[in-house]
Amino acid sequence: MVIAALATLAATAAFAAPPNADAILRQAYENYRSTSSQSVVAMTVHRPDWERHMDMKSWTRGDTDALVRFVAPAKDAGNATLKLGAETWVFNPKLNQVIKLPASMMSQSWMGSDFSYNDLSKSEDILTDYTHRITATTQSGGHTVWTIESTPKPGAPVVWGKVAMQVRDDDVLIGETFYDQDMKPVRVMTADKVATLAGRPYPVTMTMRPLDQPGQWTRIETSNAEFNVGLPAWLFTLSNLQNPRS
Amino acid sequence: MLLALAWRNLWRRPQRTILSLASIALVSGLLVFVLSFQDGVYGQMKETTLRIFDGYAQLQPDGYAADPRLDSAIADPRRLAQQAVEIKGVTAAAPRVNGFAILANGSRSYAAAVIGVDPSSEAKISSIADRIQAGRYLTAADTDAAILGDILAKNLGVTVGDKVTMLGQARDGSVAADVLRVAGIYHSGIPELDRTILEMPLARAQDAFSMEGAANTIALGGPSLGAVNTALPALAALAHRNDVAVRDWRAMEPAMRDTIDLKYATSMVFYASLVLVVAFIILNTLLMSVLERTREFGMLLALGMRTGQIGAMVWIELALLAGGGCLVGVAIGAAITAWLQHTGIIYPIDPKLLAQFGVPRRLVPALTWFSAAAGPGALLATVFVGGVVPYLRVARLTPAIAMRA
Repeated sequence: MVIAALATLAATAAFAAPPNADAILRQAYENYRSTSSQSVVAMTVHRPDWERHMDMKSWTRGDTDALVRFVAPAKDAGNATLKLGAETWVFNPKLNQVIKLPASMMSQSWMGSDFSYNDLSKSEDILTDYTHRITATTQSGGHTVWTIESTPKPGAPVVWGKVAMQVRDDDVLIGETFYDQDMKPVRVMTADKVATLAGRPYPVTMTMRPLDQPGQWTRIETSNAEFNVGLPAWLFTLSNLQNPRS
Repeated sequence: MLLALAWRNLWRRPQRTILSLASIALVSGLLVFVLSFQDGVYGQMKETTLRIFDGYAQLQPDGYAADPRLDSAIADPRRLAQQAVEIKGVTAAAPRVNGFAILANGSRSYAAAVIGVDPSSEAKISSIADRIQAGRYLTAADTDAAILGDILAKNLGVTVGDKVTMLGQARDGSVAADVLRVAGIYHSGIPELDRTILEMPLARAQDAFSMEGAANTIALGGPSLGAVNTALPALAALAHRNDVAVRDWRAMEPAMRDTIDLKYATSMVFYASLVLVVAFIILNTLLMSVLERTREFGMLLALGMRTGQIGAMVWIELALLAGGGCLVGVAIGAAITAWLQHTGIIYPIDPKLLAQFGVPRRLVPALTWFSAAAGPGALLATVFVGGVVPYLRVARLTPAIAMRA
């Protein structure tokens, strides 16, 4: 009886948790942004002949809503971007006006960086519009790292031909390669530094590199973050975008 | 003597000769006209299209064409523009800042190309200045004024006097933001332009996009496309000295270039068949007359004329026929073409449809030495070469056999 139970247990353990690509990605996303987040981020935009640093505050809610407000340098301070669902608005203090971003602009550069407006909220269309499978399992720095290839579902309105992600067994997304429709890699994001942030392992430094523009990259460093905090509903409104209460 | 003989021979059968002459003249004249017409219409098409916005050529930073980025710029555009207009054939040079921004009016927003222009030089190059539907074009005194295409204006819901907000990305990656006042609305007839292009004063655009006095392109104008094309080598040298590149119309409008090249190629096939058919008809006529005259040739041979001389005589007949026909044809064709070049041809088609292809309502053929000579020249050459056949025929004759024919 006891032996039988042990045998069952052993069998369960052996077959338990066959790594599931969907589950791994979901957990990585959950780790990255949770149900809500609030963070302080520094962005460095590097070009062959110049480099810019910007500081911003960012709030996210759910899978699609995000507010980013620039606080420094003075030239950029006050610019803000609000994303609600599929729609995006930008606020510019010089114009003192909120402008809704045309859909055609969503793939354009955001604040002169190598991120597009589409990248702004780590939107969940990767999770919903793509099918995922594990293509490699490797060991690195004491962690198991899964490489997951995501290909778009038939007919899904997506930008990329394929996305390959590397996720560590502690749910940290450490790399992401974006392929165009010809399956040519066009840009790569890497986690350069993983540290404990608000009690969880987090990719605190990430760099995005467009592969067709050598010597060009954008780095974002998260210095402070809180997750699953109660954020007031007014935070994600157009009136707060134009006249910040916080 | 051979010439006199040949001339007399031609008029032994006046009807046949006149018919042959007429067919050669008709085809030569037709070729002169169609070639001139084609050249003229394509020339107009090119000039009209290029005059709308591109200019007849452009100076651009190296690599700008492949990757038109704001930070790919000409540092001192005024000096370079000044040097460009000193080149013979170039009469205007307009520096431009080619930005990209969101334009907004209230809750409406559209992506657009925001072009910073110098109004006085721009008006000499781009016909947008002449295509203002409402309001006026930019002036040198303008600061926050802008003109935009009618489709863009309609999309944004703005009219003359309204404000348009512009939000884009400056050369240094910072935000380019400005509020402009609509001074005029243009209609170029090219939907892509009318939907996407806003023009604003150069200095203000340089400021908004952090260009620090730089420009992205310099559009060039001249009395004609041909004049600017002739100036291309000098422009290339100037460009080379300043580490920029010159782009001619073929590079700027590849679709139009390919269309025109393709049309030339297909019509050349048609012209070539026309020339061949006429050449064959003429040769056939001549060959028939040679066969008819076998007895006569035999007689001439018996009288002591050499086959070479008879062959030459036949060839001279051919030359007189073809040359005369071509001369008459060119004269008539050139006269008609020149007259139509003076009056123009109004094509009974919806002018809007023509405008879409950059074709003006009044079509004007362009009579040139080439268009006048190419068709008849090809016809003459073909007939002369084909003349070998009757010549060889004559060369094989022997008096005894020929006399019995």
